[in-house]
Amino acid sequence: MNITIKLIGPFIYAAGFSEKEFEVPQSAMVESLLGLVGIDKDRPKIVTRNGKAVGPADELRDGDRVVISPLYSGG
Amino acid sequence: MYGWTGNILRIDLNTKTYRKESFSEEFAKKWVGGRGFALKILWDELKPGIDPLGPENKFIVALGPIAGIPAPNTGKAVVAAKSPITGGYGDGNIGTRVTEHLRKAGYDALIVEGKASSPTYIYIEDDKVEFLPADEVWGKGTYATNDWIYAKYGKGVGVLTIGQGGENMALYAVVRSLEGRAGGRPGMGAVMGSKKLKAIVVKGTKTIPVADPAQMKAIGTGDLRKVGAIDKQTGWSIQSTTGVLAWCNEVAALPVRNFRKTQHPDAWKIDGERLNAARIATYGCPNCTMRCGITIHDHEGRESELDYENIGLLGSNLEIFDLDQVASLNYLCDDYGLDTMSAGCVLSFYADAIEQGATGGDFKFNDPEKAKELLGLAARREGRLGNLLADGSLRMARRFGHGSEAYAMQVKGLEVAAYNCKFIPGMALAFGTSPIGAHHKEAWIITFELKQTSRESYGREKAAKVVELQRIRGGLFEYIVSCRFPWIELGWDIKNYAVYFNKATGLDWALDDFWKVGDRIYSLMKFFWAREIPSWDRTRDYPPMVWFDPANADKDGPIAGKYLELDKYNVLLDHFYDIRGWDKRGIPTKKTAESLGLDKEAGVVQKYARLE
Repeated sequence: MNITIKLIGPFIYAAGFSEKEFEVPQSAMVESLLGLVGIDKDRPKIVTRNGKAVGPADELRDGDRVVISPLYSGG
Repeated sequence: MYGWTGNILRIDLNTKTYRKESFSEEFAKKWVGGRGFALKILWDELKPGIDPLGPENKFIVALGPIAGIPAPNTGKAVVAAKSPITGGYGDGNIGTRVTEHLRKAGYDALIVEGKASSPTYIYIEDDKVEFLPADEVWGKGTYATNDWIYAKYGKGVGVLTIGQGGENMALYAVVRSLEGRAGGRPGMGAVMGSKKLKAIVVKGTKTIPVADPAQMKAIGTGDLRKVGAIDKQTGWSIQSTTGVLAWCNEVAALPVRNFRKTQHPDAWKIDGERLNAARIATYGCPNCTMRCGITIHDHEGRESELDYENIGLLGSNLEIFDLDQVASLNYLCDDYGLDTMSAGCVLSFYADAIEQGATGGDFKFNDPEKAKELLGLAARREGRLGNLLADGSLRMARRFGHGSEAYAMQVKGLEVAAYNCKFIPGMALAFGTSPIGAHHKEAWIITFELKQTSRESYGREKAAKVVELQRIRGGLFEYIVSCRFPWIELGWDIKNYAVYFNKATGLDWALDDFWKVGDRIYSLMKFFWAREIPSWDRTRDYPPMVWFDPANADKDGPIAGKYLELDKYNVLLDHFYDIRGWDKRGIPTKKTAESLGLDKEAGVVQKYARLE
């Protein structure tokens, strides 16, 4: 299935892209995407799917838009 | 007493006199500095009901015990006065060389009283104060004024100045400093203007008294390097605060079209990625190793320093998605000395009110050239329209009528920062309960709400988080006077600030001691309100009413059909008041006042308002 990953802020420069479509296996979980884009697992972050926060064990669905962002704090 | 100089400089513009006053160790420990000093001085010295733009108001610059010493990021000052836009206590923090210079001149705070008979600037050099004519730059913008001052005194001096917005007392005029720094959203620039005070220039050559200078220097400079290294490692300052724009757009929290919408397909055109690519320079405050001021060329080729709030409110909120045009609006606000956030909300409200039929006019969203013209009218208070725009969105709405107050995006008169809380209850509470109006500096809990709670929740945990962050953001950082960014954006341990404080003062405070000072300050800010407005009630802690309107809900996207619910918001507000020890009106109880050492202040406020 196809998933679009959108990265925010400094993650763009760490991963080398801003937005990209990935093909992932059925039943893939959010956690697997983090490995795919090479962002440090321990780095505080917030992941949203179609605008809503998800956890690492949440399953992905075809066509999902997943946004991975550092934990911004509102300046 | 270490950490504090122990002195306040009081300047009277009426008589062109000044005097050095000392303060006690008890005062220092109770109010610490910055916001604490400013609030307590204004509480003690202002009579309730005075005109904020009259000579009775006082303009204060207040510093804290770690302000100006070499440690992360201590180049900030608090500017404060009774606010002309809210009518309550108002303040802001600003990055400036005034901090270090005023401390080195031997002062922890400056109180400016009265009103000059003609445009004046003040030059402070150690124990000497000069009152000098500013006619040559009266009517000029902040950039020209800064250059004029630098030509006289060199670039190393500390300078606070106002533009035409402050001179003409636009109610959201700010104080300006350095290349692109601004502070004092609740009209602190207007208060300077009301006193015909164009600028404050400071040069100090003494030593800031620190209890353990060797250790303080070693720890402070070492930590400055560490913070810089964390910034480089994490890449935070590549986009600085502007990285949040793309995220807000994804999670439906971006202000678009006077906050009517929460997302826009063109938002990417003005996001942090585009801004970083257009960068020509980066500016920051003194003692900073994570500089956040990304600077680009504006539409007219001038340098304009931007952050997220500027882009969100002068860009997406006005549906302007040309970055160079957003930069132009930002440049004009900075030069006029208008708050970029309020200016963006005022213009978006005006366009919305015209569209809703509440008033006439030819301004529309996505009209940058007209927006530039309107900013000029507001800064100069030119004509009926300029006067209207200069008064801020709440007063505009009261003149327009037709229910427009519901979508004037403000709290207590101060316009909302660039987070659309159409369906973010906890952040709406943070704006609603911010004591100076809808400022994001007091508390910001959006990622907490989305990640660690349910967005739909109105639970006590959100109120508790707002209080926790107020203690740190609006408390600690505003009274020790330091920038919150190393802690909040890079995860720099909050305990480090206790170390700096203790090394500077020779005291041995734990974090709980700091939280108590913060709680004391927040309760006194509420007393300030109750003394000004004895009929104070909880509705003044509500966010803009349009967020409660089902008809305003998004039609699609992540929060389609969702809106804030007033009865649930009231429950959240009850939690907040309960945690703070305030009554159902949002006023501290006698018991709370006693526990915070505010007995005397409670006695004063009881002459005006009932205390429970």
